[in-house]
Amino acid sequence: MLNFQEEIVSELVQENALAVVAAGLGLPSILAALVRLHSSSSGVLFLLSVPDDLRRGLRDELQAQDIGAEQPVEINTQFTAAERAEMYSKGGAFLVTSRILVVDMLNERVPFHKVAGIIVNNSHRMTETCAEAFIVRLYRSKNKAGYVRGISDQARGLTSGFMKMERVMKSLLVKKLNLWPRFHLSIATALEESPPDVVDIRVPLTPSMLAIQNAILEVMDACLKELRKTNKVDVEDLTVENGLFKSFDEIVRMQLDPIWHTIGRKTKRLVADLKTLRKLAEYLIRYDAVTFLKYLDTVRASEGVKSVWVFAGPAHRIFELAKRRVYQIVRTDGEQVESVVKQASRAVSKGKAQSKNKGRREQEEEEADAKVSGKGVELEVVAEEMPKWKVYKEILEEIQQEIQSRPADLPEDSWKSEARVLVACKDERTAWQLQRFILKGPEELMREEWNNYLLAKAELHGMTLRDKKKSRSKPQAQPQSAHGLVEQTALLAACAEVVALNKMEESSEAGTSGKRCKGKGKRKKRPDNTEQQVSEEPVIPLQNTGATDMSLEDVGASSLVPPVQYYALESDQYRILDTTGPSYVIVYDPDMKFVREMEVFKAKHPQRRLKVYFLFYEESTEGKKFEASIQRETTAFETLIRQKASMIIPVDQTLDVPSPQAPNSVSSRKAGGRKNMEKHMQIVVDMREFSSSLPCVLHQQGMRILPVTLEVGDYVLSPEICVERKSIADLYASFSSGRLYHQAETMTRYYRLPVLLIEFSQDKSFSLQSANEVGDDIVPANIVSKMSLLVLHFPRLRIVWSRSLHATAELFATLKSNQDEPDAERAMRVGVPTEDGLIEGDVRAENYNTTAVEMLRRLPGVTDANYRTIMDGCKSLAELSIMPFEQLAELMGGQRPARMLRDFLDAKFPTL
Amino acid sequence: SAPAGAASGASNSQSRNAILVSRRQQGNPVLKFIRNVRWTFDDIVPDYVLGQSSCALYLSIRYHLLHPDYLYFRIRELQKNFRLRVVLCYVDEDVIKPLHEVTKTALLHDCSLLCAWSLEECARYLETIKMYENKPADNIQERTDQDYLSRLTSALTSVRHINKTDVVTLGSTFGSMASVMSASMEDLARCPGIGERKVKRLYDAFHEPFRRTSKQLRLSSVGIKPIQEAPK
Repeated sequence: MLNFQEEIVSELVQENALAVVAAGLGLPSILAALVRLHSSSSGVLFLLSVPDDLRRGLRDELQAQDIGAEQPVEINTQFTAAERAEMYSKGGAFLVTSRILVVDMLNERVPFHKVAGIIVNNSHRMTETCAEAFIVRLYRSKNKAGYVRGISDQARGLTSGFMKMERVMKSLLVKKLNLWPRFHLSIATALEESPPDVVDIRVPLTPSMLAIQNAILEVMDACLKELRKTNKVDVEDLTVENGLFKSFDEIVRMQLDPIWHTIGRKTKRLVADLKTLRKLAEYLIRYDAVTFLKYLDTVRASEGVKSVWVFAGPAHRIFELAKRRVYQIVRTDGEQVESVVKQASRAVSKGKAQSKNKGRREQEEEEADAKVSGKGVELEVVAEEMPKWKVYKEILEEIQQEIQSRPADLPEDSWKSEARVLVACKDERTAWQLQRFILKGPEELMREEWNNYLLAKAELHGMTLRDKKKSRSKPQAQPQSAHGLVEQTALLAACAEVVALNKMEESSEAGTSGKRCKGKGKRKKRPDNTEQQVSEEPVIPLQNTGATDMSLEDVGASSLVPPVQYYALESDQYRILDTTGPSYVIVYDPDMKFVREMEVFKAKHPQRRLKVYFLFYEESTEGKKFEASIQRETTAFETLIRQKASMIIPVDQTLDVPSPQAPNSVSSRKAGGRKNMEKHMQIVVDMREFSSSLPCVLHQQGMRILPVTLEVGDYVLSPEICVERKSIADLYASFSSGRLYHQAETMTRYYRLPVLLIEFSQDKSFSLQSANEVGDDIVPANIVSKMSLLVLHFPRLRIVWSRSLHATAELFATLKSNQDEPDAERAMRVGVPTEDGLIEGDVRAENYNTTAVEMLRRLPGVTDANYRTIMDGCKSLAELSIMPFEQLAELMGGQRPARMLRDFLDAKFPTL
Repeated sequence: SAPAGAASGASNSQSRNAILVSRRQQGNPVLKFIRNVRWTFDDIVPDYVLGQSSCALYLSIRYHLLHPDYLYFRIRELQKNFRLRVVLCYVDEDVIKPLHEVTKTALLHDCSLLCAWSLEECARYLETIKMYENKPADNIQERTDQDYLSRLTSALTSVRHINKTDVVTLGSTFGSMASVMSASMEDLARCPGIGERKVKRLYDAFHEPFRRTSKQLRLSSVGIKPIQEAPK
């Protein structure tokens, strides 16, 4: 461990605190050290909100620090409650899901006096009502001696929102804040003592890429201007620079959320468009030309008519240029030109087609001839390569030379083992592509991508071999219709060729003989046997580990490039550098966290060589983003430092634990609330509800929470009141799935006061739908219609509208005020059938054969209107099954429904 | 399916088809927005009569702030003459406490509270409840596909623990739904995958009468007050 990491740990150990560490400074090492300091003899240590990848990192790091170290035990739903209680009593460190721990604590399965402490990772996510805060509070109310430590590596997460940091600290009940920015003296000295050699390579964008990027930024600017015109948002933050970040959505959302229902469709559209554009800007750099075009096509197909930006002037440029990067339309005027172009294009789009036997080739050529002369145009495939590819290859070659030339004084073996190359790129897709690029070279790679593109296109158009001459134009408006149509036709023709080719390949096993043409847009034909061999090799499937070993040893061209390991930054492996131990790192996609990890790695092994190549696109959004992400973290830390200076923290924060007691709002009419003083109010809560914040808030209100598994309802307030809670999104979803109907049905069956609680969220607007959604007519899909149907069918269902979580808690308290306390045991049994199929407390079940009634109502022809008469006229389903049609018609009030039912009953079961 | 009530109502009297509005509601701007259904003034106890057994009381939050007891007295006047009693609350102020009070009053006095945030929405609720008076709940129920197998599955899976595989087994063994329904216990038991319990459940579903007579009552009520309501 490095000095500063030890410092971080020791400060945390000294006093309960929230430690905010800059990203990438070795979170697993810090956590591992904290775990190692704990021993099972001192009791239980709970580690909360540790995501899976960090868990892995933590385990490996523990192993690395001390082979004999006790590994923390993961607690999940596999263990039964009794097993968990047993494990807790033995002590040790536990990685536990917050939801499980809350329930265990409420059920007193956790020996509070034995819990040495709690460590909450990702503390920046905490709110006063989240499960982690609930756990901390429950713990503190029973055990005042143990420690609570918060850790976060997202400084920015603590600066967004009002008094965010203070609130997090309050939730953790800690008084101290430890800040560890990158510019902290001890960190800076440690990391800058022997920094890695850095080679910064700026790769220029191609002219068309640059033009596309500018066009995207222009459209973005136009959208932003439009957004400003609505006067709904604060203009200051809305700049194109901000627009490139994900957080931009948050900025806009934060401003618009409270008024979201009042803003028009157009504004909402603009917000969505900005998101799309941001993605486009990112993909332009990340995806190759063909994939980018494919993405553009999908974007246009999926949001074509709705979005505003597609119609902006520069948007047209985006589409045109994206196409030009991939293919061009060439007029074929003279015969000779035609044949040349045709050949080239055939070479390009067919590839392996030429390896077919001659007869077929000629036949095909004739076909193509007819088609081409009819149209007079051809597609020329340009398929621009990514500028970074070439540079990437050059770097690899350079490294290889270095590796081969260097080891004069060193023994060969140790040098070789040390000379490992790690390539860090954004995702596995990129890793896979780079790998293929090295294996096959750019032309082959682009050709494959282009063929894939055409195949996908052909599939989209439902094209088969037969209707390949059919040309359909896209629904989107093509600005130059004549030209557009020609282009479309040419494209579809190319599609058809690829489809045909594919079919041929399927039918005849690809022959290895024959000469092969490898082509790209430069109208070159080159028989290349070695190339063919390489391409015939199956592409190494990428393992999901993110880091793929690629041994090029066997491949012919391997002498040029060294063996390479790929690492997808998105897979978040904390110890990738430690496990691979590279001497060369190529950062294909720059990322702040990874840069820090390299710095830490180098500081750990100061004598090791580490050469880092950075690949940036010049004048691109990529570089700006990278720099800004560092800047933003620094700013966040500066803000936190300022806030820390002026922070107001109650001295007795730890004592500020609300112990369960009667709420203050006890009415004085009830003899000073004497009854409530005798025992706590109780609420039976379904286990599944612990992922929401309401149980926590209820507990804050001083109620006793009894977590059980409920078959009916979410909350049971009293023997008579049962509540089904729905957030607005849930409400819509459960209406359309029919779940709500079912829930209402069961609740009304078992409880006298079934309640549907519709809970709004505090920071969103208080209404079910926006003003413009109400409309002038009665529409079945509208929420008003659905609510109306619900009250009509369940007149006994009470509906409660709550403004927020806290309002709900208050409401619950009032509703309970003169009711008996609920019985958890009974509530659990409600709705659960006993062995003989009867359901306890189900009044209907005593009078009706509920299963039979339910089945009857699901039969075709049986409606709400006629099923009662059917039940009157016939005793059972068995009797119904043999009832003649005439009698059915009489019972069901008509020939039609009776026919439907009879037909269904008698229908022959289809043989499968 | 066309609601039978609406069809006969059209011929009966005009007022059957219209929302009846209490004269108290004169001047309520909501009335301007009731466009999809006819309405007439009438001497009625509730503010709106929305069908044979449905009525509604109208209240705005602002009015409640001025007259906190109003709602309670209006509900008391209704007595027990309507099956569905809606309190339609126009939320014209985003304040928590008065809504709280309205909620509590409605809940404890057997009214269904509906909140609306605009006059149009209020009017839409009134119209829709009237229009949907006899409408089945299909729109908010689980939808089943219309093909034979889905329907068969939907019907047979209403028996607990019968799964899709069992449905196919039953269907292919007996050939049709009617034969499944009239199958004997032995025949049912011969189907693979259908154990003793499932056989009993199926057989009971098919052969036990829809309505149990008092003799067949096997379980006495356990503490929960009986609810007198026929299944819908």
